[in-house]
Amino acid sequence: RNMAGAGGSRADNGYGSQQQQPRRRKGPGALATAYLVIYNVVMTAGWLVIAVGLVRAYLAKGSYHSLYYSIEKPLKFFQTGALLEGSLLIPKYLPGIVPSSVVLTAFQVMSRVFLTWAVTHSVKEVQTEDCVLLFVVAWTITEIIRYSFYTFSLLNHLPYLIKWARYTLFIVLYPMGVSGELLTIYAALPFVRQSGLYSISLPNKYNFSFDYYTFLILVMISYIPIFPQLYFHMLHQRRKVLSHTEEHKKSE
Amino acid sequence: VEPNATIREIRLMFHKLYPRWYPARQSIKLDPKGKSLRDEEILQHLPVGTTATLYFKDLGPQIGWTTVFLIEYTGPLFIYFLFYFRMPFVYGLDERFTSSPHPVVNLACICHSFHYIKRLIETIFVHRFSHGTMPLRNIVKNCLYYWGFAAWLAYYINHPLYTPPSYGKKQINFAVIMFLLCEAGNFSIHVALSDLRRDGSKTRKIPYPTKNPFTWLFFFVSCPNYTYEVGTWISFTVMTQCVPVGLFTLLCFIQMTIWAKDKHYTYLREFKDYPSLRMPIIPFLL
Repeated sequence: RNMAGAGGSRADNGYGSQQQQPRRRKGPGALATAYLVIYNVVMTAGWLVIAVGLVRAYLAKGSYHSLYYSIEKPLKFFQTGALLEGSLLIPKYLPGIVPSSVVLTAFQVMSRVFLTWAVTHSVKEVQTEDCVLLFVVAWTITEIIRYSFYTFSLLNHLPYLIKWARYTLFIVLYPMGVSGELLTIYAALPFVRQSGLYSISLPNKYNFSFDYYTFLILVMISYIPIFPQLYFHMLHQRRKVLSHTEEHKKSE
Repeated sequence: VEPNATIREIRLMFHKLYPRWYPARQSIKLDPKGKSLRDEEILQHLPVGTTATLYFKDLGPQIGWTTVFLIEYTGPLFIYFLFYFRMPFVYGLDERFTSSPHPVVNLACICHSFHYIKRLIETIFVHRFSHGTMPLRNIVKNCLYYWGFAAWLAYYINHPLYTPPSYGKKQINFAVIMFLLCEAGNFSIHVALSDLRRDGSKTRKIPYPTKNPFTWLFFFVSCPNYTYEVGTWISFTVMTQCVPVGLFTLLCFIQMTIWAKDKHYTYLREFKDYPSLRMPIIPFLL
């Protein structure tokens, strides 16, 4: 009985006996490129709409409170649309274009969608909080830069400014976004506790219980190991990408 | 080094030079990106000239498969008891050492314990492993998974507020019968696979159905042991009507499907005359 053959998949790189899959880094074909360009242009435009919506609402109201309502629908639409990106495009094409980690981006999208729907949308009372604005602004700026970065990369004409912005602005935007997210979850806690949102208790015929309040606390705690990893990964990418460009410039 | 030296002998020599890296920890290859060489290979039969360059990779601290399984399976066995006997720290002091009024809870404990005792017996007496060891860090990951899930599902089954299955005795009896059939099936397959290596060899052979009816699943499936295992857990889910058990079953199914597909494609690659009717884990489907 070849148990180790079965377990060989469990103990992934303990043997070196698995056959290596050849990594094929060919870029996308012409049709796929066109499709990707359209997708990224649309997403850039979408987040620009959100940015403009925020500015207009701010000017109209004269204050930055409760701006969430002015961009609620496009925010939900375009943030959820990024799931499409995660499931279809990233695994197939983008690793060839952009040297970013697929898993980390996917994780980021999942956490954003969670925050958009399972926290901000679900707990109406937090929608008027200022911390919501904190992460909405961070996301908006980040996404505009990110999608235009992808667009220009696909067209093989990437202005240095965009590349610089993508790998530099995160230094401020990341912590800003994370703070907004954590504060929002924290603000939601008492309302979740009170209403028993998404929670189920014993006894019930499926013999299952789930406490959303505790779950949210665990989510908050999970930021502690995960956020620094993502942050340092981006810093590492920054050094790699921006110094590579310097060398390129020098050799020309 | 002599031309007729085996890789095993080379590993032992290397270990003498570097006591830190015992043979199980050494991965020796002809090519940095290639497969690790097996102990039985003889140097002069390999594609090398008068001098050979071998690449060494440290696989990290290793632990024997038997040891791993013993630890992995003993945990759930005893953790379940903590909940079954309602240790004070589990459901609070008021419920300590009480017992459930539902017979199915006792039945579930017997089945769960039977399953893990069977696994322990198989580990000691039945399984023949081709690799002796696995990396040490895996054991922490695996134990967290098995022990964690055992605790989670035991918590609900033995809870004072547990609700027995909706269809009562009929549902429970049906589930018990399926459970026993699948356990018998799983055991039969393990024995059949073990018999393929009765001569102590470590090479792969195609398993075939024997006189035992449970092994006739080999006509349709490459890894019937996994098929039966999934069946066992589905039965247990039906018996207890408990969502955490169902979730555990789902995860087991996903994991075993991955392993079965792996195994299946390895068989296909190695044996040109591999039976074409067979699917990896579910007849005709998956």
